[in-house]
Amino acid sequence: MRVLVRQHGGPGAAQWYSAMFTPIDPKSAVPIYLQIIEQIRRQVAAGVLAPGDQLPSVRELAQQLLINPNTAARVYRDLEREGLLETRRGQGTYVAARASALAESERKRLVAARLEEAAAEARAFGISHEAVLQLFRDILARRRPARKEER
Amino acid sequence: MSKNRCAIATHELTRRFGRKLALDRVSAHVPVGSIYGLMGPNGAGKTTFVRCLLNLINPTSGSATVLGHDVVRDSVAVRRRVGHVAALQPLWEWMTVREFASFMAGCYPRWNPETVSGILSRVGVEPHQRIQTLSRGQRTLASLAVAIGHEPELLLLDEALTGLDPISRREVLRNVIDVMHAEGRTVLITGQDIADMERICDHVGFLIRGQLFWESTLEELKARVKRLRVEHPDGAPAVPPGALRVERAARETQFTVSNFSPALVDSLSAPGLRVEVMDLGLEDIFVDLAQPQLNASGSAQVRA
Repeated sequence: MRVLVRQHGGPGAAQWYSAMFTPIDPKSAVPIYLQIIEQIRRQVAAGVLAPGDQLPSVRELAQQLLINPNTAARVYRDLEREGLLETRRGQGTYVAARASALAESERKRLVAARLEEAAAEARAFGISHEAVLQLFRDILARRRPARKEER
Repeated sequence: MSKNRCAIATHELTRRFGRKLALDRVSAHVPVGSIYGLMGPNGAGKTTFVRCLLNLINPTSGSATVLGHDVVRDSVAVRRRVGHVAALQPLWEWMTVREFASFMAGCYPRWNPETVSGILSRVGVEPHQRIQTLSRGQRTLASLAVAIGHEPELLLLDEALTGLDPISRREVLRNVIDVMHAEGRTVLITGQDIADMERICDHVGFLIRGQLFWESTLEELKARVKRLRVEHPDGAPAVPPGALRVERAARETQFTVSNFSPALVDSLSAPGLRVEVMDLGLEDIFVDLAQPQLNASGSAQVRA
């Protein structure tokens, strides 16, 4: 799934690049507009989309992703309200300047959302807080790249 | 929903073919600006519904308005503002594509030749080709091109995606999106191409045996129809009334509900039980809702 994004890459004028979007899953109960919002947020959090990058028009976004134009319009409306995107009249929709400031909190939010799911699972199985925290510590320790000062 | 916010509004629309009720008191509402997917098994009445809207057949009783016009009294006004594509619709086989387009252009006061030539060139159809030489996908796209040449406010796609190759399907969807770009345009799609409909429709209706037994936004449908999985190591819970496709195992029960709410989960919860809510895709929703309707002899409404 490709969406054209106009970015300042190297030297010279900005260019339209085709940015990778993971395919939308229409079967998911997560509405399509939220799936796309999540992807844009993730790309901003990861720094793949940077302030000043231009996104396609509503019509182009709908055509590139083959989605309902009302859905595409809603994606931009919601992200503008959050301050992640801004629409300059007659010019287009851009990643807002303050998006990089939001990126840090966005990264935490994305991780928190995953932890939330794990916490719900733990509650359902009746696993104690202490045991869950221990599991998480173990996971973090296992994933940490081995350093010389460690055994 | 008020009538003038509806591109299509029917009131107890009924059509009988001999002893068979093809449409049974259908009251459907297609909002202006929506892409509405009308689904149903083969023979459910989808095509009859579309043909009634175009006054190609008369309703036995009930009424329908399209863009504010009564479909029987103002059928000319309806046709002028509506585009229609049907699967395998007969075309003038001996005409070239160019002749077909200019013939259709003559039927309307307004015509956009660029729209038509744009679509045809993207699917590799030459204007001098005879209709009879076109592939199935090209025929559908040629019909679609001339159906939207007059910039209709309402586009009716009757099984137009059925049996198309992926490239033609994408071209159809692309054009639906294009049509929708102008303010206040509406598209009604019928068919079984659930994955595509799930992707672009925002409203859905289910027609079964001539009855419309569900109509809502796609979002509401997905929020209300859920599959619940209850793990019960020590004894089975009571299944709520109206539960569909109930499957019981020794220590686990699953069923689908069409009136999901968090309160429902609370009411099922008990010590020793674990309730898991599973989201369903449109295909599973369709099967779970339609199956009991097809099995039942009566006309029970699923909707709570």
